[in-house]
Amino acid sequence: MSYEEDNNIHWERLRNGDKQALFALYNNTYSHLLRFGLKICGSDELVKDCITQLFLQLWTRHQSLRPVTNVPAYLFTALKRQLLDQLAYQSKIHAAIHRMTDKEAERELSYEEIIIQVQQDEELKQRLQQALKALTPRQIELIRLKFFEGLSYEQIAAQTSQTVKTAYNTIYDAIKALRKMLK
Amino acid sequence: MNFQDFEAADFACDESFQRYCLEENDSDILFWESWITRHPEKKAAVLEARYMIEVLSARQGNRLEQLKHLKDGISQYDLLHSALEEPSRQNTPAPARKTGSLFKYAAALGGILLLAGAIYLFSRNNTVTDISSPKTSMVVINAGNDPRKTVVLPDGSSIILRKNSTVELAAGFNEVNRKLTLTGEAFFDVTQHAQYPFIVHTAAFDIKVLGTVFNVSAYAGSHQSETALFKGKVEVTLANKPEEKIILQPNQKLTMNVTGLPAPVNPFKVMPLDADPVNHKAREIAWVRNRLEIENEPLEVIAGKLEKWYGIRVTFADEEVKHYRYSGTFESETILKALDALQLSYPFSFKMVNGQIIISK
Repeated sequence: MSYEEDNNIHWERLRNGDKQALFALYNNTYSHLLRFGLKICGSDELVKDCITQLFLQLWTRHQSLRPVTNVPAYLFTALKRQLLDQLAYQSKIHAAIHRMTDKEAERELSYEEIIIQVQQDEELKQRLQQALKALTPRQIELIRLKFFEGLSYEQIAAQTSQTVKTAYNTIYDAIKALRKMLK
Repeated sequence: MNFQDFEAADFACDESFQRYCLEENDSDILFWESWITRHPEKKAAVLEARYMIEVLSARQGNRLEQLKHLKDGISQYDLLHSALEEPSRQNTPAPARKTGSLFKYAAALGGILLLAGAIYLFSRNNTVTDISSPKTSMVVINAGNDPRKTVVLPDGSSIILRKNSTVELAAGFNEVNRKLTLTGEAFFDVTQHAQYPFIVHTAAFDIKVLGTVFNVSAYAGSHQSETALFKGKVEVTLANKPEEKIILQPNQKLTMNVTGLPAPVNPFKVMPLDADPVNHKAREIAWVRNRLEIENEPLEVIAGKLEKWYGIRVTFADEEVKHYRYSGTFESETILKALDALQLSYPFSFKMVNGQIIISK
């Protein structure tokens, strides 16, 4: 069963009041929603809470849910709305509106911005910023693909036209360098 | 691969280790959890690698914990829902407390970040409908010749009874008390219940619990009775010395000589559980434990095995579910935990009706 069909089936079951289908849909989409949310607001706690909230609402309203052709797209939109409401609530509305309605382009947070923003500790933020500066753009790109986007070494190698071994070594060296600087 | 020689960077770059940290795959989680307990000397390197992955993934992962929050939230919601549908059914003496927390919940539902402070008052999830009916009289349950018999009590607690053992639920169990009497041996997984403590009577001692997992061996005619605690806390009161109360900590057991002679100075002993040197599991519950392994089998076949294993009838309400396939290994779980675990890999529903388990889509 494809990812898409899978989600459509869960969705139909959910509409009929099947709680297990809700959890299955949750497990299937969790990491995608989390990454999507992080790019909007850079706070893992807020995103995680909004995801829980979103699924809780799906459950409480399951009887009035309509058939949906693209379930992940529906969830992304709903999560975005949820996040914006929360950001507004936390008086971060200005930054959010700016980010969302910017005519030039919907600017997503960059990977470096995200991993720095989710850290709570100011000192660590500083050190992380310094440490990232010491990496080459290539290293940062590969680390993003590996740890943020969750690609396998094979996928990274194919995407960046290099061997699996080179991809692994680049990431390994970057980790070693970061470790030293974050210690 | 020889992980023994791994340093932090090697762990951090290992794909299976990454899946474990991000909780993406159950078999990686199982593998690394057990590998780490077997290699405590690698703890520092593992922690550092976990930390690197946490930073670089922007703290993704956490799926299982978040899923638990969602499940708790939903069972709270369902409880609220049924409470609102039947507002006047409650006649137990603590309604104020109950409605109080339900309203707290209702308020949180409308607000934000509901789950940050989830109320755990009713933490048991409701997939199991139990066998309660109002004003029950005394109930006797006997394992007979089955090696193990699983019983789910009206309060949601489950018991695995060993061969030829008997429990007797006091009249009004789960309505005015949670008292029962055990002869023989049983493994208990008790749900929390603020109102009535769970009390196990045996000939030699009484055990009072609030929500915990433990094993009791109290055979009639045996010279030794024993209770072994795995989780939570229990309070033991000796039958011949009611003024003395002994609190057991997890992984301790209390043994007591029942000689029938006048009590010696120290009739009981408290000692650590007897760990099996091979797998570090307690020998006290080897009888519950013996592994049950399932390798890509349809649920229909698995149900047959569970039936034999746990000594409880399992039936199906839907044809389709019978053909779902699963793999897994079960050790000391109760049948409810085992079914919960199977549900995680592909969903189905089950409920407990009249002492049997019914599986449906």
